[in-house]
Amino acid sequence: MKLSKFPRLVQKEILDNMEMLDIFLVSFLSKNMKKMIKLSQISRFKTINRVVYGYYPFQDNRAVVIPFPMAEHLEEFIKRRKEAKNEYFQLNVSGNEMDFRLPDKGKYRLYDFPEASFDKSDQESVLKSIHYYLLDFFGDSVDYQLSTNYYAHLIPKLPHLSVCVTFNLSVLHDMKSFEDFLSSTPVLKRIQMHVCGTKKRLSPESKLYQAEYIRTIQHDPHFPAVLRHFQGRQAFLSFAKCEDLELIEFVKRWKSGEAFQKLEYMKIKMTDNKPPRYEVLNAVGVKYTDKTKQPPTHTLAKVFITGDCKPYTDPIISHSYVVRESDNRVASVSIHRNELNFGVWNKTEDEFLKLMD
Amino acid sequence: MSSTEQGTSSAAPAEPTTAPESAAAPEVPESFYYVHGKDKVVHKVSAGALQHSALIHGMISNLGYTEEQAKANPFPFENIDGDILQMVVDWCNQHKGKPTPPEDTNLPKQKEKLFDLVLAVNYLEIKELLTYCCKQVAMMVKGKSPEEIREIWMIPTDAEDEAAEKEAKKRAGKEAAGETAAAAGDAK
Repeated sequence: MKLSKFPRLVQKEILDNMEMLDIFLVSFLSKNMKKMIKLSQISRFKTINRVVYGYYPFQDNRAVVIPFPMAEHLEEFIKRRKEAKNEYFQLNVSGNEMDFRLPDKGKYRLYDFPEASFDKSDQESVLKSIHYYLLDFFGDSVDYQLSTNYYAHLIPKLPHLSVCVTFNLSVLHDMKSFEDFLSSTPVLKRIQMHVCGTKKRLSPESKLYQAEYIRTIQHDPHFPAVLRHFQGRQAFLSFAKCEDLELIEFVKRWKSGEAFQKLEYMKIKMTDNKPPRYEVLNAVGVKYTDKTKQPPTHTLAKVFITGDCKPYTDPIISHSYVVRESDNRVASVSIHRNELNFGVWNKTEDEFLKLMD
Repeated sequence: MSSTEQGTSSAAPAEPTTAPESAAAPEVPESFYYVHGKDKVVHKVSAGALQHSALIHGMISNLGYTEEQAKANPFPFENIDGDILQMVVDWCNQHKGKPTPPEDTNLPKQKEKLFDLVLAVNYLEIKELLTYCCKQVAMMVKGKSPEEIREIWMIPTDAEDEAAEKEAKKRAGKEAAGETAAAAGDAK
């Protein structure tokens, strides 16, 4: 069966029915095949909004996930290389001959790219080769993200590459190296962190607060002080302890336009069984929509789909809302059980109220 | 499923047997048409079954043939092997008037048969069957290494592509030179 003998439209239909991993493998077979894939899969590639280099595959149809080990996982990849020598094949990636194997199926899905085998010293050059190959494939309108952790040393500066960091600060002692790490990262997209009783402080200008998306589990709102200094779009915070006063201050600063200009969504969860009191709403001067009408539902596509696999933020259906003084934008506020949810609308108060007509 | 008789190479088509249709008799008598492939075996197929093929449907929609005229003028598909056309006719009969299922597991497993079926189905413009076939072709390389894929789909290397391109250019050059010489000869 000679694929090239099929008419172009048939070749396209065949490729349309292939998984991304197989498409990549075919692209390595010849320049002509790569060209044909790029031409025929334009509409499919347009649906992809990010390429993630990481260790764990995850469920997000808009993402292409490339297996790439960081620090502690690298040993595992090297060990596998020794045990399964016969499974490897060579591919020429951006001019470099490298060894690969077909990836294992992860918990939710298969990786979209073969798994590279390399020594620690080659980590950066391997990532560079793969990154340039993919840049050529998908172009620079896609987000390229390196998913890593604080203990990883490799943060290469490559064009269009941003960093998503996950770390546990219970073992963090040296704040300077932590800040150095943050400032050395090219662009911080996402941060997931677990802070356990650390009484440290970060500079309000820390790059941590500039991440687009942050998810934390922390003892109190002071480290990191996301509730005060966050400059990104979406935050999911879980506190063991948080005073009402701190919640009130957050909403008031948003209302005044003094901070959180880019904020779209914030979820604050209390884990100490002391839910925020409804007095918070009065203290921040909430307004109420007509109680006889169903309030509009606020929900957004998440910047990142994490472990819960939910592509959208939890809906906020609340009669309570606040208005930002600087531009008259509205945010729905709700207190439900042990959570405070805050969702910003891209609407003025009049536009927002019309949603209920 | 349609049954067939071996056709002859004469102009008159062999007398085909009628394909058994669905159990319930249609209220309006259905019109039938006749098709044959490279082997000249004639298949009698209902207009309803042929609706799957955009090509044939377009050809017959304005003909208004009587049964006798249809029998006397079978559609020749000389580019399609008889056994492949038989598969196509069977599929059209099986799926006549029914919504097509998301998958079809009755497609040929042998590479070459599937290859010929894809070309025939593409030519006859049977969209759903083409989708099934393409899915099956795609499945052939699932979980395979690059070199295994190269072997299954006979994908040439860059060097082979370059050599073929050079050869094609050389041939085109020769042909052009031949035409020029012939034209010069004619002029004399």
